[in-house]
Order: sequence, then structure tokens, then C-alpha cells
Amino acid sequence: MGRADSLVKLAWAYGLHLARRRLRRTRSQLRDVYATYNPEGIRAVEPAQRERHPRLVTCINCGLCALAAGRIGQTRLPDLASSYMRLYPRLGEASFDVAGDSPDLVAATAVCPVGLPLAEVAEVVRRMTMR
Amino acid sequence: MAGPSSYDVVVIGGGVTGAGVARDLSLRGLSVLLLEKGDWGAGTSGASSWMIHGGLRYLEFDWDTTRLSNVDSGHIVTIARNLVTRVVFIVPVLPGDKNNIEEVETALEVYDRYQPLKHSHPHRRLTSDEAHQVEPGLTPDLVGAMTVEEWGVDPHRLVYANVQDAVAHGAQAMNHTRVIELIKDAGKVIGVRFRAPDGEISEARARAVVNASGPWAPEVGAMAGVSIHLRPAKGIHIVYPHRISNFSITAESVDGRDLLMVAHAGFTLLGTTDDDFYGDLDSVDVLEDEVDYLLQGFERVFPSIRQYRPVRTTTGVRPTLFKWRRYEDELSRQFAVIDHAGEGADGLISIAGGKLSMYRLMAEETSDAICARLGHQVKSTTAGRPLPGNESDPVPVAELASRCGISGLAVVKLQSRHGSNAEKVLDEGATSRILCRCEPVTEAELTYAARHEQVRTLADAFRRVGVAGGPCAGAACILRSAEVLGRELGWSASQRFDAAREFVRGAWLGRAPVLGNAGWAQEELAQGAMRGLMLVDGTR
Repeated sequence: MGRADSLVKLAWAYGLHLARRRLRRTRSQLRDVYATYNPEGIRAVEPAQRERHPRLVTCINCGLCALAAGRIGQTRLPDLASSYMRLYPRLGEASFDVAGDSPDLVAATAVCPVGLPLAEVAEVVRRMTMR
Repeated sequence: MAGPSSYDVVVIGGGVTGAGVARDLSLRGLSVLLLEKGDWGAGTSGASSWMIHGGLRYLEFDWDTTRLSNVDSGHIVTIARNLVTRVVFIVPVLPGDKNNIEEVETALEVYDRYQPLKHSHPHRRLTSDEAHQVEPGLTPDLVGAMTVEEWGVDPHRLVYANVQDAVAHGAQAMNHTRVIELIKDAGKVIGVRFRAPDGEISEARARAVVNASGPWAPEVGAMAGVSIHLRPAKGIHIVYPHRISNFSITAESVDGRDLLMVAHAGFTLLGTTDDDFYGDLDSVDVLEDEVDYLLQGFERVFPSIRQYRPVRTTTGVRPTLFKWRRYEDELSRQFAVIDHAGEGADGLISIAGGKLSMYRLMAEETSDAICARLGHQVKSTTAGRPLPGNESDPVPVAELASRCGISGLAVVKLQSRHGSNAEKVLDEGATSRILCRCEPVTEAELTYAARHEQVRTLADAFRRVGVAGGPCAGAACILRSAEVLGRELGWSASQRFDAAREFVRGAWLGRAPVLGNAGWAQEELAQGAMRGLMLVDGTR
């Protein structure tokens, strides 16, 4: 009984929905999506970085980049790739962790056994920490 | 054997429902003993999708279940603010999907009526181009997409917060303690016999016993000679140690089931399967076929999914109520409170079925049944009473980081587990050195967990504070964690090493089904870093 009742109500809602779609002008809701979710830090990876993203999260936390180049701001380089690159929505609250000078990220990338492009990782993380 | 102690109620099962019942009854002023054979939330609760959701799919079956689910989700979101995060789904619609885009939007329009109950925004509709702007990883073959909101939750911390609050209100709670017998007298269940972690067997007498042991409920029921009919269903998840998409994403499996890729705070869960389960509940394996089934479903909407490196899998068994002639996915997620008085087990009440999202309501109704039996006229207060860590606003991240000398991210993570109690955790007196760098977890937090949160093994530490939960899966921190935990629990050097090896062996079982090339590279690094001491698979 419950299921039949639910399906009838859904069918009625479907009819109303179709009628509304015909009678009302539709407008883009993209701006609403950004307005609602950007403050939550949900929009993270941009289209240009999307294709490269799987390569940006391959850190295996061996620590060699720390030996080669040290820290970015107050953060050890392996932490940048293995921890900050996990794209926490609340990363903006920790923006001071990565503020400051960048070390020699080319040298750090050269010693990385999985070829992680650390300069790109740093760019994504710094953008994510901007509120 | 120790002499019997007496309680108003003994609760068997330390999942979210059992913990919720213990909290509810304690807040009503009853004396409670809560017993869990493993660790808090280590069974079905921890193997969930980590979501408090309103039950969009129940609209097809029963709108009232959706309403109730949203109402209770709203309560949980309010009382456990630090443990929840907003999870926003993109629902991509492809040509040939089982529902066309107008049908999908109709369901979401109906669902929007209930969304305010759990403090969520209404859905938005996006064209194909717009959907690719917000989620560039989606397949080009889109008709359009919708957004829909749910809530993510850390189920391990949610369970423990309930245990913690129950204890704060007088309950006694023991993990790693197995009930071995229900004590009966003249057709009445009058208590339990249980084995503590040190092997000592004790008795507890009670006016009522609650069986909240999830899929193990029939096993516990059998101790009292009653039959509980469940249809256990196995579900697995693949865990990625990063967010791999901007939004959470839904997909359709090859057999038309709904799958979810849930972007939580810093990791992604991809699931789930739903298969009848007939095996040993204490040994549930993940099959490579199940992993492929999930990846196949997601590859259709998110083509790059196979390029990402999963870090492990999780598996659990749902305690679904029995129904004949239904596919697993069509089984109701409703729950039942069963009084066994008419079956020769007066005093035993079981709670079966249900979902994480409705745990508080399940606990309240079970507690109502207990109170009615005991003639205890006090109403539940769990809907509005904050869980520990939510009594006040947390200290700003920058302030706490500077005061304690740790990173802002470490504070963010600490507050997500402990809320406003984060400062108290760091004040434990131990060093605030970072122990697990991926998560990150401080040594002070693990010390606090060992002293105050019943952490007895490294797997307990993983659940309670997230040690070894990141991309390296413990390669860099598990030996250090064993040192810290061993120091607190009085382990010898060899016991510390054995504990680390036991953890690595357990983790391996969940990781083996998802190891690809990058995964093997990580595995080799971990083995090398530990000088091969942790070799868990002799065939390699």
C-alpha cells in the first residue's frame, strides 16, 4: 500500500513538474551553485587541472623532497603533497601554514620517485587556502 | 569469576545504535552497562558510507520514512556539529539512464520539501556545460545534472561521542568484552555473563537486556532461545585518501543500482555493493570482482576513476529486516523494536534493521520500550542535547595553532574529532609533536585517546583519532604510534612490535583487493621503510 501510494504521488508530482517546465522560463542556476558552495570550500579542482589531478595525488610520503628542499612556509614538503593536497573544505582556516617563501620546488620534483610535480601541487594548495 | 554487579539495563552491542541506547537511557537516569565484543563502531557502523542522509530513494517506497529520516538527520546535525560536514552531490543524467532528467528533477523537487528539516539547501539543475564547469571530471555524454545535499559524518567518533556521553551520565561501558551467555531464570532474562579483555569472566544482573548487536542479533538472540530473522547484506566501499572530485557524484551500476562517490573531508568513499551474506560475520572479505563492479559503474560517469590510487577497502554487513522475494537493494531500511516476552525471554528487547541516519530515533524508540517495561516515566532528551565537544564554539584555528605550536591543519582535524574539547586534548601533558603526518595526528591526541577513550589497540587508534588513515596507510607512523600507545598501556618492546605487525596485517586484508601499480610502489616503500619486518604476505 505504501509503495503504491508513493508511486501515485510521484506520478502526480511528475505531471506538475512537466507543466511547470512548459509554462515557466528557465534560467541558469550555475551562479546559485557557486554562491551556495564556494564559501564551503567545495569547489576545488579547476577544469584546467582536472586532467592532471590523478598525477597530483600520487605522493607515497617517502620524504625525499624534504631532504632536497625543506619547507614551504611552515609546512614540510611531503605534508604538502600527502596531507594538504587532500583538498579539505576547511583548508582556508589553515592558510597561514603555507604562507611564505617557496623552496626550490624544481629540485624537490627532481628527487621525487613518483615524479610528483610539486610546483603544481603547491599552486593548487595555495589556491585552495584562499577563502 | 567476579561476583555479579547490578544494573537497570545491560546493552549488548557498541555500534551506533547500542551506544545511542546507552546514552538515551543514562540521560533518563537509569543505570546502564554497555558491552562491545570488539571496538566501538568497528562493525556495521564504521563500514557505512559515513553519511547522515534523508533517504531520497525511500520516496519510491514510503514518503513518511523520508520525512522521519530527514527529521532525525536534522537532530544529529544539530547535536554533533563538529562531526558532520556538508556533502553535496552532483547527480549526472546520461542518455539511457533508468530515470530521465525530468523524472530525476521531480524526485528532487519532492525531496526539497524535506531538506530544511536537516538544514540543507534545495537542489539546483545544471545543463551539461554547466555541470562540466563545476565538475570537469564528468563524462562528456551528459544530458544534464542536479545538485542535492546530504551530510557526511565520522561514524567512529559519532559512536564514541555517544559512549562518552553515556559514561558522563553514569553508564559503564566496556569494549573488547564479549557476552558469552544470557542468564535466564524461569523464562526471564535476568543478566549476562561476559569475558573481559584479560579473560576474566564476570556476571551482570539487569532488569532488562537490550540486544543491539546489528547483524549479530540472531546470535545473541539464540543465547536466550529466541529467533531473530534478518537478511544480512554485505556492502563494500573503496577508499581513496584524497578528495578526487569537487563534488560527490552518483552513478548507476551495470544492474541499475544507485552508487555513490562521496567526497568527504580529505578522502573519498566509493560504494556500495548490496549482496545477501551467509558467511562468517567476523570474517568478511572483499572480492576483486566487487571492486571491479564499483569501478565499472563509476567509469561511466567519471572516466578517470581508474587513474586514482585507492588506499584500502572497507566491508560490513547490514542487519536488514527479513523479507522474501525481494532483491537486496529493494529491502526496506526500516527498523523494528522486538520485545521477546512472548517467546519465553521476558526482559530481552532487540533492535534490528535501520540505518546510521536514524540511529538516534532507533535508540529513542528502543529506550521508550525499555522504560515502559520498567515503569520509568522519563522522556528522551537526546534530540536536542549536544554530544560532547558541541557544548560551545571551538577556539579559532589560528589561535589554538599558535598557542600549542602545531599547524593549522592539525587543529582543523583535531577540532573535527573533538570539537570544543580540542584544547583539553592538547593539554594532556604529552608533546604536541605530529605523530601521523598525513592526517595529521599529534602525539598528545593519541596519548589522550589511550588514557580517556578506551583505545587498546592500534586499530582502535585508527578509528578514534585517524592514525594511519592517510595516503601512506601507516607506513610512516605505525611504529611510532605503537611506541606511544605501548608507553601508555605498559606494553613491552616485543608487544609494541607485535601490535604494529597485527595492525599492518589487518590493514593488508583491506588493501590487497585494490592494489594497482602505484599501490604496489607504496607497498614496497612501506616494506622497505620497515626493513621487511612487517611482511604480511609470505607469497610475495
